[in-house]
Amino acid sequence: MAQEASSSTSSKTISLKTGDGEIFEIEASAAKQMKTVQRLIDDLGDDITIPLHNVFSKELPKIIEYYKKDITGEITKDFEAEFVKDLNDDEVKVLFLAANYLDANKLFEFLSQNIADRLESKSVEYVRKYFGVENDFTPEEESKLREERAWSFRGIKEDE
Amino acid sequence: MKRGTKKRIKEKNEDRFSCLPDYVLLHILSFFDIKEAIQTCILSTRWKNLWKILPTLTLISSQFATFEAFTKFISKILSLRDASASLDVLDFQCEGRMDPRELKRILTYAISHSVKRLRIDVNFDIQQFLPSLFSCHTLTSLHLSIYESPRPITLFPNSLNLPAVTTLALNGFLFCVGDDGRVDPFSKFDKLDTLMIYGACEVRDNKLNLCISSTTLVNLTIRTNYSAAGGIRFQLYTPNLCTFVYHGHIPFQKLCGINSNLSSIKHVLLDMTIGVGMWSNPKDNPLLLLHLLDELANVESLTISHRTLKVLSLVPYLLEIEFTSLYNLKSLKVDGKFITEGMLYFLLQNAPSAKVILY
Repeated sequence: MAQEASSSTSSKTISLKTGDGEIFEIEASAAKQMKTVQRLIDDLGDDITIPLHNVFSKELPKIIEYYKKDITGEITKDFEAEFVKDLNDDEVKVLFLAANYLDANKLFEFLSQNIADRLESKSVEYVRKYFGVENDFTPEEESKLREERAWSFRGIKEDE
Repeated sequence: MKRGTKKRIKEKNEDRFSCLPDYVLLHILSFFDIKEAIQTCILSTRWKNLWKILPTLTLISSQFATFEAFTKFISKILSLRDASASLDVLDFQCEGRMDPRELKRILTYAISHSVKRLRIDVNFDIQQFLPSLFSCHTLTSLHLSIYESPRPITLFPNSLNLPAVTTLALNGFLFCVGDDGRVDPFSKFDKLDTLMIYGACEVRDNKLNLCISSTTLVNLTIRTNYSAAGGIRFQLYTPNLCTFVYHGHIPFQKLCGINSNLSSIKHVLLDMTIGVGMWSNPKDNPLLLLHLLDELANVESLTISHRTLKVLSLVPYLLEIEFTSLYNLKSLKVDGKFITEGMLYFLLQNAPSAKVILY
């Protein structure tokens, strides 16, 4: 197994600074997968530490871990299952928001699916809280709506 | 309308979620079961009509107690859905007998709402729907799976061009001969880059080869019946093919067409069998695997299933056979339980620094 000689451009690393001031390194090829980061690199150059105001030191390492696997083509269903296994719903939410901010498409897709899976069997109240949604229906509006969409529960109700 | 009183200070993230534009929420919603997606209308006034502009619809008959329930559900969705919202993705899977007119209804809706990705899984002949499908110019991805027993009946037309289609997956179609005396159904596609052909397809005159001619094709997956030694004989005329996945019986003849070669292929997955013992055909010969590997000489990454290793293990005096292929190999992925030192040596003899991944 020949040793890699001197550094090539593909092993260049980029410095990222989180909103709470911590610095992390990622490979340039991983940074390419996060369009927001890539845009900042294009504007500011790749020798500068890239500031990420909306991403914090709690979640960035996990995102870096995901894209480390991605650039070696090793993302499998098993890896993705492991990746989210020990995360609670809020931690997934934080990662999702970060992936959205970073415009990191692959992670965004995967986490969208994971959030949908987690929310499917949850109550209306839980889902409202999760999305930060206030119930702004009047009681009358709400009960009318429940009646109207009863067809989607049973799927066989006759009344229009 | 009751307006919320002064908002309590909520967790930062929940605020951020409610600031997200509709398309992000719709994206999560598109992964919900359709019934669950409709339930979200109760969350708040913002969510009341969000499901109605969902650009993806997945309709699976087995999720309903009866076909009647399924068709009524479809009716309701089509009528309540926002008429101006385009439908990007329709995934329609129906087991069992269904009135084809229902399929016509949903297809007409999808086509008139600029559907881009369409998947249909049914078990009746859809010949009558093909003309309208094939004149739909918004389609980029088409996945058609027809389970007809015992043999396929639905004919795949020759000389077809779907100008925007980049991905095509077919199961249960009958390919037939064109005006030039060849079976070559994909040659006129302008943009096809990914093609998948599945087990229940056949060539009507099974003495003929199925030619896959395409200068734009980059990814090809063939997934046929492992035991079908008498199955489709493929001939590839694909000068830009990069990724090739083959599950099935080892071909008895060369894969590449006349005056053609497979030198562009870089990534290969082989999951192959030959007939053994009672099930063997006189033409069954494990050396055919080596002939196939000879054709795939330029490959950079190769994945080999345990079934393929089994075939390799049947080659007598493997290490004494001259083998000049796989000299560009950079990575070999094999089942760790079935690979032997001898096989590894054989496969890597012309690319000793290739990375080996055991799974």
